[in-house]
Amino acid sequence: MIKLPKIHTGKLSLISAVLIWLALLFVDITRIFGELNQLGSGISPEYSYALEILFFITVYIFYDYTINSNKNTEFLELIWRGASTGLLALTVSLIIRGLYFLLGDGKLAMDPLLRNFFYHVNFALITIFLISTLILWRRLILYQKTKRIVQQWQAFEVILLMSMFFVFLNNNSLDYSFLFGMVFMFIFSISLSVNLKWIPYLTFKEKWKSILFFLIILICTIYLFTQLLSYSDTELVFVNLTDNLFLIALFGFIFIYSLFSLLVTLFNLPTSSVFEQKLTEAINFQRLSQSIKPGQSENQVLDILIDSCMSASYADAGWIEVIDDNLGLQIVHRRNIKETERAKIQTHVESTSPFNAFKWDNPKNEFELYQGRISQGGFLSALMLPLVTNNQTFGRIFLLKEVKEGFNKEMLNIISTFVGQACISVENHRLLNEAIQNERYKEELQIAQRVQRSLLPEKLHHDEYFEICGFSEAADEVGGDYYETQQLKEHEFAVIIGDVSGKGTSAAFNMSQMKGVFQSLVQLHPSPRDFMIKANKALSFCLERQLFITTTYLIINTLKKTIKFSRAGHCPTLYYDAKLKRWDYLSIDGMGLGIIRTDLYEDFVHEKTINFNPQDLMVLYTDGLVEASNEHREEFGYERLKKLVDKHHNKQPEEIQKLIIEGVFEFIGKNQRLDDDYSLMVIKFL
Amino acid sequence: MLKIDIQIEQQMHLLILKGEIDASNSVDLDSAIQSIFAQDCSVILVDGRELDYISSAGLGVFMSYLDDFQEKGIQIFIFGLAPKVLQVFEILGLDKLISIRPNKEDAMALVG
Repeated sequence: MIKLPKIHTGKLSLISAVLIWLALLFVDITRIFGELNQLGSGISPEYSYALEILFFITVYIFYDYTINSNKNTEFLELIWRGASTGLLALTVSLIIRGLYFLLGDGKLAMDPLLRNFFYHVNFALITIFLISTLILWRRLILYQKTKRIVQQWQAFEVILLMSMFFVFLNNNSLDYSFLFGMVFMFIFSISLSVNLKWIPYLTFKEKWKSILFFLIILICTIYLFTQLLSYSDTELVFVNLTDNLFLIALFGFIFIYSLFSLLVTLFNLPTSSVFEQKLTEAINFQRLSQSIKPGQSENQVLDILIDSCMSASYADAGWIEVIDDNLGLQIVHRRNIKETERAKIQTHVESTSPFNAFKWDNPKNEFELYQGRISQGGFLSALMLPLVTNNQTFGRIFLLKEVKEGFNKEMLNIISTFVGQACISVENHRLLNEAIQNERYKEELQIAQRVQRSLLPEKLHHDEYFEICGFSEAADEVGGDYYETQQLKEHEFAVIIGDVSGKGTSAAFNMSQMKGVFQSLVQLHPSPRDFMIKANKALSFCLERQLFITTTYLIINTLKKTIKFSRAGHCPTLYYDAKLKRWDYLSIDGMGLGIIRTDLYEDFVHEKTINFNPQDLMVLYTDGLVEASNEHREEFGYERLKKLVDKHHNKQPEEIQKLIIEGVFEFIGKNQRLDDDYSLMVIKFL
Repeated sequence: MLKIDIQIEQQMHLLILKGEIDASNSVDLDSAIQSIFAQDCSVILVDGRELDYISSAGLGVFMSYLDDFQEKGIQIFIFGLAPKVLQVFEILGLDKLISIRPNKEDAMALVG
């Protein structure tokens, strides 16, 4: 398959333009040759006109392509392109004129063929200059375009296209229709030429350059136009190509737009510094609001702030003072002033009204602005603004000028805005840091949660005479509930459930202490009462004064079928006697651990032994379960617990445990959450 | 919500507790007892008639002052506790250390 080569618009249009121009030259010269020799070649001028139009169009396509292919060209570069093309056409035209001047009245000077050749060269260069500039001007006019301007421009291009064909109507002679068309297009050009929005964006220097370039373009336009007019008077040209409505209209348009641009640029010169200033302010504002980036610090924000404020107010000197948590007042940014001088001036300023009214702890500092006269070190006016985040003044910015009343209202406005924005940036920065810190705490808590989970046993010790299961849930990430088992002998098991007062992290720490106490004491195989006494003693040394731990400790002997137990302030164990078919709370006196921290505690803790039978059930729990309350502040309570388990006594321990938890949550309602840790152990004897 | 009121009646300090004592407001109870300590006092009567709930943190406050009461010879009595609240004191064993009476008269009778 034959691959079509990629069509390169630029090259193709350039080559065709050159070929068309050569064809035009050839046709015209052939005609002149025929006329001169009375051969009557009979080539009608319409052929030339058609070729001329084709030439216009190909040149247009070429420039449209090359100029628009580079979208990011600066305005100045565009104007220079126009000026340079004009200069080229001008120079070539001058050279031709010079050549004829040198030839004088010689025979060669009168040769119509040579003259015609140069006429075509001039025609081509003028066309190139005009069309390329047209396309350049289009870029300028359509800068910040609206739909209306685009439509207007498109209409203009259509009219230009139509004007090319006008030649077939009047054969490039000056008549009323020509004049009418010309006037119409001039008016259209004027209405287009008011689109000069690009001018303010030039800097002062660029404006001067563009004025120069426009002058060049104007001169070229005027010269080339007169040159063109001079041809229409000569008899040497047989087919007039240049008295074309299209070219004349283009001359008009380019001249008018260049003139407008030149004048407007000239009048814009004095105000350009204001526009530049505003533009810098806008950019500074943007920098301040974007200044919080990863890795950037408050200091960088303040650095931008002082520079922005200095440039906005044309201040001669300035500095920023901030409060550092560790170092106290610090000067962080100092501009155009020595430290010794600065210290002197600050002392002076602080003792001068209105600056002496400033107070660091004024909650309304955010809206304060201190401005006044000073006379120290050559400075005559001063401005001071507090820097405030979150109602706290963290610093001050000082600006000094060597003139009296150097800060006007506009400057104050813009500086207040800068300061406000900088403060927001600093605040954002601080909030971000806080958020990162909080995130870290959260992670730490998650670690704590994992560690605490691992403190609760995965498997509970038992033998074939009883089954056991346990469950614990903290209200917060971590909690103070605890349960564990240990095998003492072949048929003897220790079971403990405990609850540290309070909840959350502090309770969690004490819960782990309780685990340590249990694991140590259980090695000594103490009786339940002994366990309590020793645990109380141990905890007395390490528990904060207002904290206590409640616990129930029991020893199950599956050989003797006995349960020996002791209670230390803990919720009484619920026991189901399968023979009597009765649920009861195992009542025994016993004080919580850590309440009495002397030997007197021994008087307040007791021990009891009961016998169990197969099918008996035991439910151990913490107060979070019975104190769980519903939306009416009603507690789940001991009676409800008893009734609930009564219905399910013949089920498996896991099932009973699940039903209790479900029952509690059903009671408190869907929208309530438990505000205390709760734990549960169910033991069933076989 | 917890409302604490302190009244002085015949050289006795009456500590009136209304509402619920939990971890968030147990500090208030603590400072109330502190302020009684600051004054010259020998008997504290705690009016618990309108106390709806006391958490372990609230019990901890009472507990932490037991030694101080004994040391300074201050007698403390609680009266009028709702059964539910009384049960909390009993389960923990605090009723063995602080005299709890059903009403003010019974509590006053113990003063001496």
